[in-house]
Formats: sequence, C-alpha cells, structure tokens
Amino acid sequence: MCPRRSSTRRASPPTDNTRVTGVPLLTGHGLARRYGAVEALAPTDIAVARGERIALTGPNGAGKTTLLSMLAGVGRPSAGEISWHDGPPAPVGWAPQRPALYPRLTARENLRLFAGLEGADDAAAATEALLGRADLRDVADRPARALSTGTLQRLNLAIALAGAPDLLLLDEPTATLSPDQRHRLWAWLTDLVAGEGMSLIFSTQSIDEAARHADRILVLARGRLMFDGTVPDLIIRAGGDPDDPVAGEAAFMDLVGGEG
Amino acid sequence: MRGLHAGLLLMGKDLRVLGRSRGLLAVLIGYPVVIAILLAIALSGGDRRPAVAFVNLDAGSGRTVQMGNERLSVDDYVARLENDVDLVRLDPSSARTALADGKVSAVLTLPKGFVADLQSGIRSPVLTLQTNPRSPIEAQAIERRLESAVFRLNQALATTYVDQVLRLVDLIQNGGTIAVLGRTGHLIGLTGSDRILRELVAQLHRIGQPGLARKADLLRDYIAGVDTNLDLARPAAEAIASPIRLDITPGAPGREPLSALGIAGALVVGLGLVGVLLAAALLSAEREDGVLSRLGRGLASPGVIVGQKAVLSAIAATIVGVVMLAVVALATSVVVGRWLLWIPALLLAGLAFGAFGLLIGALARETRTALLVGLMVSLPPAVLSLVPNSDVAYWVSAVAGFGPAARTFQSLLADPDIPGSLWLGMGLLALIALAYGVAARMVLARRMHSS
Repeated sequence: MCPRRSSTRRASPPTDNTRVTGVPLLTGHGLARRYGAVEALAPTDIAVARGERIALTGPNGAGKTTLLSMLAGVGRPSAGEISWHDGPPAPVGWAPQRPALYPRLTARENLRLFAGLEGADDAAAATEALLGRADLRDVADRPARALSTGTLQRLNLAIALAGAPDLLLLDEPTATLSPDQRHRLWAWLTDLVAGEGMSLIFSTQSIDEAARHADRILVLARGRLMFDGTVPDLIIRAGGDPDDPVAGEAAFMDLVGGEG
Repeated sequence: MRGLHAGLLLMGKDLRVLGRSRGLLAVLIGYPVVIAILLAIALSGGDRRPAVAFVNLDAGSGRTVQMGNERLSVDDYVARLENDVDLVRLDPSSARTALADGKVSAVLTLPKGFVADLQSGIRSPVLTLQTNPRSPIEAQAIERRLESAVFRLNQALATTYVDQVLRLVDLIQNGGTIAVLGRTGHLIGLTGSDRILRELVAQLHRIGQPGLARKADLLRDYIAGVDTNLDLARPAAEAIASPIRLDITPGAPGREPLSALGIAGALVVGLGLVGVLLAAALLSAEREDGVLSRLGRGLASPGVIVGQKAVLSAIAATIVGVVMLAVVALATSVVVGRWLLWIPALLLAGLAFGAFGLLIGALARETRTALLVGLMVSLPPAVLSLVPNSDVAYWVSAVAGFGPAARTFQSLLADPDIPGSLWLGMGLLALIALAYGVAARMVLARRMHSS
C-alpha cells in the first residue's frame, strides 16, 4: 500500500537535506506537523535513495515518530509534500514501535489478514512466504499474545513486509528487546534489506545502533533536524575522534544539548 | 470493490476474535439478554396485584341498589373490583398522602351520589382514578386492570338489568303476581287476556252479537301482535346486554403472557445494549491493539471500518432480537407475526445502536472504557424509552435510537393495522444510524491520522 503523498502547502525552505548519493526513491520537502500551538516537527527536508539505510535518532519528543508516520502515510503533514521519483508512490512497509497486530489471532492469521488487506493475489501463499522469511513457521499457529517479545516484534516486522515494500519504515524496532534479541533481529533485518534491495528508515535512541546499521543518520531534537550525515561526520563536526568508541555518543549529546 | 473486500476481511477477523473471546462475548450478548429478560418479567407484572387506595364519598348514603331480587350495596359493588387490585380503604387525605409516598399506586374515588346515579338507570355513575405520574408504567397497568374490572362489572349489571326487564316482559305476556309500593297484585297477562276475549267472542256469537264479536276479534289480533313482538324483545335485550361476548379460556399454568410494552422494552434494552456494547468494543479494540495506524495507511478507510462494524453489530443485534421474539412466540401466548417487517425494523435498530456504539468506541482509548461508557450512556435513554405516552422521554431517548426503536417494536406487536408512525420510526432509525455513523467515521479518521 502506498502512503498519502500530496500536500499543496510548502513551508519556508530549510537547509538542503535532499541530496542523495544513490538512485533516488523519494524526497520530502518541508514536511511539518503542528498539534494546535505545539510544533511537533518544523519544516524538514529528507531524501531517500534506493537501498539506503537511514537512522532517525534523537531524544524523546524529537519528532522521529512524527516524521516516520508521515513518510508511512499514517500521519498527515501540516505542511510540505512528498514526491516519489519514478512515478507513482512505491509500496511502503510500516512497523510502529508497539506491535500493531491482533493478539487473539495466530501469527499465520495475522499475516494472512494483512496480506489480504495489502491486496495480495494469493494471500495464503504470501503468508507462507512471509512465515518463512521471518522464521516464524514454528510459531505460526500460536496466538500472537502467546509469543515472546522478540518473536512478536519479528511478526510485527513481517506484517510490514506483507505489501512487498520498496521502503521499510520501522519505529524503534528494538526498543523493547533484550540485547540478544536485538542482535538476532538486526542480523535478520540486515540480510532482508540487503537481499531485497529495499530502503530502510528506522528510528532509534541509540547512536551506537544507528552507527552500526545505518548508512546515514538524521538527528532530530525539539522537532528540528539538527544533523544529516554519517556518524563519523557527526563526530568530526563535534571535534571528536571517529575511532573513539564513545565519541559518537558524546557528539550526539553535544548536538542535542544534553536532552538525550 | 477493494473497500468491500477489506470490509469482509475485517468482519471475518472480528468474528474470529469474538469467537475466541468467550468472556467478552458473554458480557456483550449474555448480559443484555439477561437484563432484557428481567425487564420483561418486571414489565409484564406477573401475578402481583397493585395496591390502590379506595375513597368512598358515598358511604353516608346507606343506599343500596335493587337489581331484580338482588340488593347490592356500594361495598358489594366495590368488592367486585378487588379481584383485580388490592383495595385499601382510606379517607381522602390519607389516600393523597399514601399516593404521594408511593404506598399505593393509585387512588380510586367513589363520588357522592354514586348509588343514586346507579339506581336511577338514567345517569352513568362515575368512578375516578388518580394514578401516580411518577410511575407511568404501573399507572398504565392499573388503568388497564380497572378498565377491565369496570367493564366486567358493567356487563354483569347490564345482564341483571336485562333479566329484570325480561321478567317484566314475561309478566306482561303470561301474567303473574307483582309487588308495587308494598302492595301485591295479580296481572292476567296477554295470554290470560286472549283467553278471556276468546270466551267472550264465543259468547257474543251465541247471543247473536256478531258485530261486537268482530270487534273483540280485532282486539285479539292486537294482543297476538303484541305478544309476538314481545317474544322478539327477549333476544334483542340479551344482544344489547352483550353485543360482543368473549369467552376466555385460561392457558397452561406458568405461561403468563407478556404485555406488548414488556416485550418491546425487553427487545429495546436487549438489542440496544448488544448493538452499542458490541460496536463500541469492536472499534475500541482496534485502537487498543494499535492496529489503526496500520489500517490508516490505506489498507481500510475509516468509512469501511465503521461500515463493517456497524453491519456486524446490526446483524448480531438482529439475531438476538429474532431469538428473543421466537422465545416469546413459543413460550407465551403472545402472537408474533409480521416477520417481514420485524427483520428490517430489527436491522435498522441494530444499525442505529451500532453506530452510536461506534462513536463511543472511536472516542474511547480502551475497550474497558468503551464498554463502561457505552453502558453508562445507554442505560438512561433505554429506560426513558420505556416511559409510555411521554414525548419528552421519547425525544430524549431518541438521541441514541432507543425511543424510535421502542415505538416501532410496540407498533409491530400491538397495532392491529400498520400505522404511518411505523415507517416514520424506521426512517428515524436510519437517520440516527447515518448521523452517528458519519460522526464515528470523522472521529476515527482523526484517530487514524493523528499519530
């Protein structure tokens, strides 16, 4: 399914963050969101290339989820627009931070339902394929509420894949996982994204996770985009040593003003 | 087509989830049905006889009513009413206090001059009944009971009067002894008069007075005509006493018929709670499960989600309604017909209740909250919809669809002909369903796209 992609309003031009190094997939211009008097996200530009992995990082309330949900087509921007290169919007997979699924349905039933809603020609076959890709065959007939946290998150991500997306959007996918669950999930995700050439944008509060799994990071704070580049760029900008294992965290703290 | 496909998929999912949520299902369907059954029993009244204060303002007259050979006092007359209500004899002041305190359900007053009016046979004596406006349902039940009692008493009195008249007719025809103002006399009657005239005519012929004999024959012809006409007076008088007779055969023990009000009330409460609670729970569960953001990406529009849940709630409410009506038809003496009208009426009521529940479900954050709020906001209009003959109660309860549903069901149960108000009620239910459906869709759309 495709997120909503149009808005006629344009915000005041921010700094140019629409440069991409690969084949461009989408560009967001001046995306902004207000809730009454509260500005959740100031006008922000973002560009995504095919196969690119981007981490959105920042403290709580920075606007990460707001930006992700707008890219997913869930949240509507108060201003700005998203334009897709190569014509019509590409399929997008969306996995919110908290697993968005039906706890009383089994893993198979959840996948089959969402495959059907995504318009799969053969929902049953698509379900079996997703069960295989997410390594969920052993727990396929268990109710989702009976699954462990890690398995449940894998099911949550598998549902996001039901529409065969070109762009996968994950909101803090590892926030509730233990270190070993986190490790296994990233191993699976890395293979998946690389194997299928899909673009990935994920949010995280861990600069370390962003450095490990993203080609590029976007740092948000108080609803504003503070940085767009690689982690070494961030460290150098803060005057640190990119080889120092804690320099990334320090540069991040320096940038967001201690909020993190 | 895509929306329909999504709606059917979500409906299948909802049914599957409900099937696995036995506790929730029991609450959503079992609770309203139990409430409805209890309500039906309460409204039907059972064998309980209401207490009615009796004020006799004609007690000082000491007069009695002579009916044929029977002499009835006021107490005899009133005693006959006690088959239907429990009469508590009170003075006017105590009766007013008892009514205000709710100790009696009504005050029956026998006015001064009641016996004189009854005796006169010219003026109809009037009993007055004052009911408690704060208990309209019970008041209506008492009115029905006393109307029925007075009707039966009137019929008994009319029969007694007719018997008395027919005894007089018999006296005129066949003669006999009559007592007037303490003196007893003998009437020869028409039959005796004819016999005397027949002997007189024979005698006149014998003494050579044929002219007088012919005149006497004319008198006999007149007597024969009167006698024939008086023969016709007997069936005519009986027909006047009982223009329509009703033979009542008691049904099997334990099968008390429920009133139309009771059945309609039970249906409205049962359907209303099933529709409202089910719809509220189904929609709030989507939010509680966190799935709205996923569906909001265009997998299912707010309109499709609201529509499929409204239809599901309406179907569930209709099934509950049909089962309740079937139980009424099988277990009571009430005749339930018009099934072709019942189905659309139940569906429209279910849609209205469901749409109301969907608005609650769209506003609530959790299923438990939605159920609690649904119950809290549904019960007052459900109760108000049971208040008969009150436009204010009707329109207040119409806010949630209960009023029009109650009147529609009562019409289907009790009205001998299909009134125009039935179609009006059904139209109003459709309008309410549409209004709440649109409102629920708007709130849901905001929820789906607010993250």
